[in-house]
Amino acid sequence: MSGNTVTLTDNNFDSFIEGNPLVLVDCWAQWCKPCHMLTPILDELADEMAGKAAIGKLNVDENPGISYRFNISAIPTMLVFKNGVMQEPLVGVRPKEDIKKYLQSKM
Amino acid sequence: MSYDVAIVGMGAAGLQAAISSSRKKAKTIVMGRSEDSALHGAEVENYFGVLRATGKELLNIGMEQARSFGAKLLQEDIIEMSSSEGAFRLLSDSGTEIEAKAVVIASGIMRKKLKIPGEKELFGKGVSYCASCDCNFYKGRPVAVIGAGSEAAVSAELMTHYASKVYWVAEEVDASENLREKALNAGAEPVSSPPKEIIGDDKVSALVLEDGSELEVNGVFIELGARSTTDMAMDLGVMPTPDGEINVDKDFSAGVEGVYACGDITGKPWQVAKAAGEGGVAGEMAAKYARGL
Repeated sequence: MSGNTVTLTDNNFDSFIEGNPLVLVDCWAQWCKPCHMLTPILDELADEMAGKAAIGKLNVDENPGISYRFNISAIPTMLVFKNGVMQEPLVGVRPKEDIKKYLQSKM
Repeated sequence: MSYDVAIVGMGAAGLQAAISSSRKKAKTIVMGRSEDSALHGAEVENYFGVLRATGKELLNIGMEQARSFGAKLLQEDIIEMSSSEGAFRLLSDSGTEIEAKAVVIASGIMRKKLKIPGEKELFGKGVSYCASCDCNFYKGRPVAVIGAGSEAAVSAELMTHYASKVYWVAEEVDASENLREKALNAGAEPVSSPPKEIIGDDKVSALVLEDGSELEVNGVFIELGARSTTDMAMDLGVMPTPDGEINVDKDFSAGVEGVYACGDITGKPWQVAKAAGEGGVAGEMAAKYARGL
């Protein structure tokens, strides 16, 4: 995992969202194979967009509270927040450039 | 049974790989259904040495050629792949187990989308393309699994362990008897009318069928075709791209020792010339690897 990717839990989720103007949270699980395809992409993005967008990872199995609150019914789902306000989430594995463009459109 | 090279996919890439591998004296098996190949329904007029032919004709000749060099052909879908201590194990939908020293993935690109109203709009809101990813979110809720092949059969059976009710929507089941029985015995209810529309506001609430009936479901799993090879490839340590393609090097190695990929699954152009060319190299490299040459 990149040094810039933050592991989120039900406990630190809200402070992470509040503490960063633009946030992407990857909701994943260990047994979800497509989720593992996203990991290297998001690690690269976390480095490339350091200071502009914060990238977090939330394990949905271990953190049911957040999954329930945001009605997550598919993984991977990437929740995006701008100034604490939830934007349209990205569902499924997406190419790195698509995710980057989406985040840049929110800057 | 034990082989030097196991090839997954019976299209142009897989059959050319089988021809090249068996000509290199590797004990070779090629698995898949030739009628599932994109080539099967195509007319070919842009392939070197062939003025005009149907894809079916080319496939039939290719199968005969592969057999003539000693390759074994098995018209069964692979549903599981694993590896341990340098050997690969493959399991077919009919329960056939194969062991091999090298694997060539030549299974092409699968059509995943159903293209009915509501599918795109409700993706991630009850519509899913991955039952094994999202099964847990549907505990105690009714769902529909759409698809006629092995992917749908495996998913329907899986969902019976989570959902309160599983409708298996398939006009005509194409999965093996073995997988079909497993799903039905587990309690999946077969529905033969084709799907027409997925409805729901913020969440899926029902699946409308062509015959006018409505299934009240919270989840719709779209699982078309055979089991996704890119999904199984991950069990061998191969990491596909987000587009479901497998990156290869000049030897068509998929980045894991003993695993090769060729044909449409390595990316565009989806042409028979590219598939056959790549299959030729991949088959030869896999044979050399398996035989320690």
